[in-house]
Amino acid sequence: MGFRVLLPLLAACLLFPLLLRNTIATEIWIFAILALAFNLLLGYTGLLSFGQATFSGIACYVAGLLLKHYGLSLPVVMVAGVLAGALSAGVVGAFCIQRVGLYFIMLTFAFNQMAYFIAYQWTDLTGGEDGLPGVPRPPGLEGGLAFYAFTAGCFLITVAFMKRITDSPFGLVLQAIRENEGRAAAVGYDVKRYKWLAFTIAGAVSGLGGVLYAMLFGIVPLAAVHWLRSGDIVFMTLIGGSGSLYGPIIGAAVYTVLAESVSRYWDRWPILLGLAFVVVVLFFRGGCVEAWERIATAGWRRRRSP
Amino acid sequence: MAQAPLALMATLLEAEGLTKTFGALRAVAGVDLAVEAGSLHSVIGPNGAGKTTLFNLITGELPPTAGRITLDGHDITGRAPHAMPGLGIARSFQRNNLFPNLTVAQNVWTAAFARARHGLRLWRSAVGFADVAAAVAEALGEVGLASHGGRKAREMSHGDQRLLEVAIALASRPRLLLLDEPTSGLSPEETRRMMGLIRTLRGRYTILLIEHKMDLVMTVSDRITVMHFGSVLAEGPPTAIQGNADVRRAYLGTATALPTGP
Repeated sequence: MGFRVLLPLLAACLLFPLLLRNTIATEIWIFAILALAFNLLLGYTGLLSFGQATFSGIACYVAGLLLKHYGLSLPVVMVAGVLAGALSAGVVGAFCIQRVGLYFIMLTFAFNQMAYFIAYQWTDLTGGEDGLPGVPRPPGLEGGLAFYAFTAGCFLITVAFMKRITDSPFGLVLQAIRENEGRAAAVGYDVKRYKWLAFTIAGAVSGLGGVLYAMLFGIVPLAAVHWLRSGDIVFMTLIGGSGSLYGPIIGAAVYTVLAESVSRYWDRWPILLGLAFVVVVLFFRGGCVEAWERIATAGWRRRRSP
Repeated sequence: MAQAPLALMATLLEAEGLTKTFGALRAVAGVDLAVEAGSLHSVIGPNGAGKTTLFNLITGELPPTAGRITLDGHDITGRAPHAMPGLGIARSFQRNNLFPNLTVAQNVWTAAFARARHGLRLWRSAVGFADVAAAVAEALGEVGLASHGGRKAREMSHGDQRLLEVAIALASRPRLLLLDEPTSGLSPEETRRMMGLIRTLRGRYTILLIEHKMDLVMTVSDRITVMHFGSVLAEGPPTAIQGNADVRRAYLGTATALPTGP
């Protein structure tokens, strides 16, 4: 992967703990992982999944339970969480990709609601509304900075992984499906198979985000599997820009920092988010990335022609 | 030319009693069609005669209500559209059916990569397949778009998009090429270019062509099937079709002669 891409991200990873509270900086990269996973579906395949919290949430519970009750080692918990994300997405995806457009969206949402209510009702296992408290971090990651560094490392690996996937023939076929499903089939691709695989890979990466989230606050909150979390991920990706690999990362950072800083002064702050959303949809369909590109080219033009 | 007569006589595609009904409408009604290997076989007929529906049945876009389609003697009835390039059938569409935000080269790449049967590749870079890149360059060169590879498909003129349609189909290296009105919506100049292209493809591919431009049809076709209200009205070489009174009536309502080629 190009250093031109990795260097700014590496710089951000080093800088954020100096500028932000440790948990906020950590949360940014966790959400960035979730948004990157989601954007494989929205940005590359044209699938708006409104249920990504299903997979990150299930992985979050799996990791929380394994850490709390069995004290398993970090690699085992991570593999289990990623597998839980992939498996749940594989099953849910097999149903959802049978339909397109609005019906696809509603199916992903419906499965999210099912997962939420199972977690809500099955209090013996999940703690229901109270969440699953007392999740210990594995040895070595107890410190805030150590866990931050670990999360940032996971994030950078996820970026490299996603870059590799989206640059591959598989990634290009996904884009072809996004552009024109019918023609993609006509030139010889089993569209459903590709969609299912993208959905499952996104679930696996979401699983990684879920595992990290379980370890962040030492609790698996019910909110981890709530549809609002799915909505947050959609929102982050859209305000960042779904047209590029990096938009969702920017969106995750902007969203997390805004939520943290504004909510301290004004608890009706989601109104601002709503406003930002309207502005993005009306004027900057490509999100922050497009806004930045437009400002940059405008500035460049002004300098060229005084 | 020693083996030519036998090869020419071989039927590549055969449809028997092909029927498609939509409710009470019989869009395609018991069509028999035999396309000989190496020939250019045209399907003509007034609008709504069922020509595009016939294509959609052959390529699996629509399941036939009745009838049977064979390619080289193998039954391919009801096979999924995505199986067609693997079987050796590729098509272009009547209305531009491209990947608008991908580049021209990427548009062709999709077909070439599928044809190369590399399978599911998640880890290598998409630009690293030399055989696919060569096939893309060849298909783009064939239609005269070699210098446009880096442009986005949606930025191309309608005429160039029609050529790209054909290039995508060619990149599948099909045994049977289905062209659905390649000249539709083209200016006279663009039409001449497309007609020139079809002439260069003739003989190298087995082609099933839907076309309304009679001067093109009458000069390039080996055989012509005339459809009317979903059925085959006439079939034969261009000279026989030109002289057919039923065909003239179907087209013009009177027994006036069809326009002839230049």
